[in-house]
Formats: sequence, C-alpha cells, structure tokens
Amino acid sequence: MPRMPRPCGAGCGALSFLGSSLKRRIEIGILYSRSGSYQLVSDACRMGAMRAIADINADRSSGIELVPVERDPQSNADRYATLCEDIFRTSSARHVVGCVTSWSRKETIPVLEKAGGMLWYACPYEGFEANEHVVYMHACPNQHLVPLMAHVVPRFGANGFLLGSNYIWGWEMNRVARDLIADAGGKVLGERYLRIGETDVSRLIAEIRATRPNFILNNLIGTSSYAFLAAYRDLGDEDAAFRPENCPVVSCNLTEGELPAIGETGKGHLSVGPYFAPRPAAFASSFEASAYASVQVMAEVLSRDADAGPAEFSKAFAERRFPTRLGPIAIDAHSQHATLPVIIGRIADGFFEVVSREDEVAPDPYLSRYDPAKTFGRPRLRVVS
Amino acid sequence: MTRARIPNLGGARAFILHRPHPTVQAITRQLSAIGLITVDCWPELPPGALAADFVFFDADLGFDEQFPWQPGEAPMPLVALIGSEAPGRIEWALSHKADAQLLKPVGNAGVYSALLIARQSFEARKHLAGEIASLRQRVAERQTIVRAVAALSKGSDDERAYAQLRSLAMSWQISVEDAARRIVAMTSEEGTGEEATGEEGGDDQSYRA
Repeated sequence: MPRMPRPCGAGCGALSFLGSSLKRRIEIGILYSRSGSYQLVSDACRMGAMRAIADINADRSSGIELVPVERDPQSNADRYATLCEDIFRTSSARHVVGCVTSWSRKETIPVLEKAGGMLWYACPYEGFEANEHVVYMHACPNQHLVPLMAHVVPRFGANGFLLGSNYIWGWEMNRVARDLIADAGGKVLGERYLRIGETDVSRLIAEIRATRPNFILNNLIGTSSYAFLAAYRDLGDEDAAFRPENCPVVSCNLTEGELPAIGETGKGHLSVGPYFAPRPAAFASSFEASAYASVQVMAEVLSRDADAGPAEFSKAFAERRFPTRLGPIAIDAHSQHATLPVIIGRIADGFFEVVSREDEVAPDPYLSRYDPAKTFGRPRLRVVS
Repeated sequence: MTRARIPNLGGARAFILHRPHPTVQAITRQLSAIGLITVDCWPELPPGALAADFVFFDADLGFDEQFPWQPGEAPMPLVALIGSEAPGRIEWALSHKADAQLLKPVGNAGVYSALLIARQSFEARKHLAGEIASLRQRVAERQTIVRAVAALSKGSDDERAYAQLRSLAMSWQISVEDAARRIVAMTSEEGTGEEATGEEGGDDQSYRA
C-alpha cells in the first residue's frame, strides 16, 4: 500500500512551537453527530476524541500536534459519506475518528477506500467485517453478545425475546442471537424492530407480556431504547415476572452516557462492554474511553512516522502493543480489531456495578472460534415421555 | 421450520492457486481475518489440495493440468479469480464449474460472500447430482420391475401384483427397484433349482450367489 498522500491544506506541515517543544501539526477528522436520536452516544465518543487530542497537544514529550477537522452529520446516515469526503477534500486529514451506527460506517467505507483514509471506529458493532481502512476499537460479538448470553442463559433461562432498531446492528445482532439461543437449547419467542427514533413500544410490551420470555435482548438504540425501558419498568410493576431479577433486559451497547436519559427505569438490567466507569472515573463511558484510546493509538504511530499509511499502521499493529488509558491494547493486524476486556455490568444508581470481568479477550469478528459447548456447556438431555 | 444457518468457517483450509501477486495478499488477509488457514501455490495444486475446503483459482492464466481432477469434478467449492473478462477465459473457468467468482483486483471485501455462496452452490450441485444419479438408476430398473410384476401376477392381475411388490418393498424397507430385483432373482433361482433337480446335482453354483 502506498504511504498516505498528504495534499497540503492550511497549516499542513507547519511546525508550531508549544513551550519549548517543536511539534508537527497533523490534521485529523472528527465525524460525530451533534444532534439526533443517538446524540448521547455520539457526544460521548466526541468527548473522548477531543480530550485525547487536548492531552496529546499538551504533552510536551509528544512530537505532534493534532488539529481536529470537524463535521456534523446530524444523525443523518446519508451525510456521513459526503462529509467524510469533504474532510479529505478540504484538509490534509487522512484519519477520521467517527461514526456511531454501522449504517453510517458502511456508508463511509467506499470514501475511505477511494481516498486511502482510515476510520477509527469507537463503538460496539455486529461483527462480520474486517476492512483494512477501519480500525475497530470497541467490542465485536465474541467480546459482547457471546459472553453476555453465556452469563444470562444459566441464570435466567434460554428463551429470549429479541428487539432491535430497524437497521443492520439490530438485524445482525439478532441473527447471531438466534443461533446462540438455538445452541443453548432455547426458543426465540419474538423478534421485533422499530424505526430509529420510534417511541411507541406498546405492541412490544404486549407481546412480551404474552410470550413470557426469560430475558429480552435489547438492540434498540437511543430514544426507542429509553421508551422501551420505561414501559418495561411499568410492566414489571404490574407483574413481578418482568422485574429485572426475573427477566432482565440485556444490551451490548448501553453505557453510563445514557443512564441520565434512562433514569430509574434501567435499574437491575444488564449490559456488556470493555469498560464501565469506576467512581471516581477517568472516563464517563466505554464510548468515551474507546474514542480516547483510538486517538492515543493513532498518535502513537503518527508521532514516530507522521506520514504513516495503512501499510505502516498494519506493521505497527503486528509488532506492538499500545499503552492507552484503558491499559495496554493489542490490535490484530489481520482484522484490525482490538483485544479488549469483557465486563458485564448491572445498572445501579447512576452507574454499573461489575458482575463479571475477563481481561484481554482477543477479537473474533467472524466468530470462527465460537464453540457452543464451551459457551453453554454440554447440551442438556431432555426427558422424552 | 429450520433456518439455513450461516456456517462457521473457522479452521477451514483454502488453497489459492495464483502466481505471487498483491491479489493473493488481499485474499489471504481477508481469509485470515475470517479465520481460515490459507496455502498459496503456483503453478500446481499440491497433493494436500485434495483435502481443501475451498480452492481459489486464477481464471486469467490457469490451465487444466494444474488440477488433480478432471474439469468440473472438483471435490470442493471453487472460486474463480477473474481479471480479464476475455470470453475464452470465462469459458475455461466455466468448464471447471466455479461455484463463485471474485473480480480482480481484489479489494477489501468480497471474500466472505464468495465463500458462503461457493459453499452453498457446491452443496446444492452435489445434492442435485446425487439425486439425478439415483433417479437414473431407478429409471434403468424399469425392465426389472416389469419382470417382477409379471412373476408376481403369474399372468392374472397386474395391478394387484404391483401393489404386492410395493408392500413387499415396504416390509423389507428397500426401494421398489431393489425389491423387484430380489423377486426376479428369487424366481430365476426357483427356475434354476427345478432344472438342477432334473440334472441330478449338476447345477452351476454361480446362479446361487
């Protein structure tokens, strides 16, 4: 692969003095929505990236100064590709930290391929992708859904009700969940999708009440998810079978950043992620922590070779681990996915209490090492009468 | 209703029959990310290829002698790597019955769907071929069935004789054709036995096999 071309925009290649150190200015793209239905997640990621940029710029021992080039797609999936293109056209940036939904990431990939750019993706996603123009810095299914189901099934039962927002994250997560539930000997009692931003959840609640699952897998995002949790809390008040200790709502993308919007209604439900904020916390959520680590790893490579392109990054991933505020991070050079801790947390009063933790889980984005017997134990024999 | 589940490809072996080229690196990177074990080779497929789960082959410079099987008889799914769309080359790739294709240059994606499509269409083709072979075999037994029905009816009711043949097949738990063959063998044995008695032990044992 060629090294990254660096057509000079304003300030490119200029050297600035910061204190006594000589720093090379490097522009990087920031592509997070500042409004819309999943704004809380987007803001958390943006906050992490901006904090990392500020910390690196303030660090006199670092030889680079990162200059953010920011665009706001306003939660409109169609705007990500054009704004990413705009970043590449109007600046010297070739690295972009951004995208929250898989829909927007997939829209952006053709632009990255054309421009030789690289996207640092700081959100959990559904797996089954390994593009060399993307570095996947948050969890994939063997780091979220598989361990979550392995935790839930023996404690609550294997019969699940699957929910999702109507786009690729929900569709693919629920596809994997169907396989996992079948392997665990359970049944999928329902599978329902809501348009992004939809808050009428009455039918879902009625179906859950009628089918009485052991757990609910929640792949709704943003306001749909908040509306569902609120309505489900009311259902639990009417019928104890739907309280979190009996039939939890489990998620792979719910973090502290959304607890203010969820309030009391989330209490007792479960989520999985690579980071839950201790108190006092360095980061407010895993989204913020992962975006921060993305900029740290990027800066670590660029500070040694400011013109590093995909080939140099790939080499660095193969050879090194990266110290980040999350601890040392390894990135698999073939799939460009990060090795991460897997933590299952239960929502308490405004924070997650850690229920289980496993460190350094290597990524397996295509679930090619998934073993049902290891995940769920030996299949239970049923009495046939 | 059972759903066709996306297979787990972890640990599967893929051979890439292509001269050293960035295309091979691009395919290898994707295969490794998906969890397959890859082997590059050129110009011949090594013996180990017979146990491969997938073979990717170059449609641009490939030739029949590279393969340890006859064209169209590969024992695993094949993926053609097509660069030049010259009709002659496509014709050649078709003669090998590629189950999926990838266009060169190979970029960042495409290998995963090629694997799934190749595997599905290979399995479907194998299943159909098996079904056709079994139907052919049954068609070839038409005469045996006629003879068995004739033997059972002894010149009277053909319909009843055919029903009897079917119920015999069911109770023996074999196909109608196999049952017919058994009945024909039994009747000719009986015939041979009678003749043998007449010849006072001078029978040919090969009839009794």
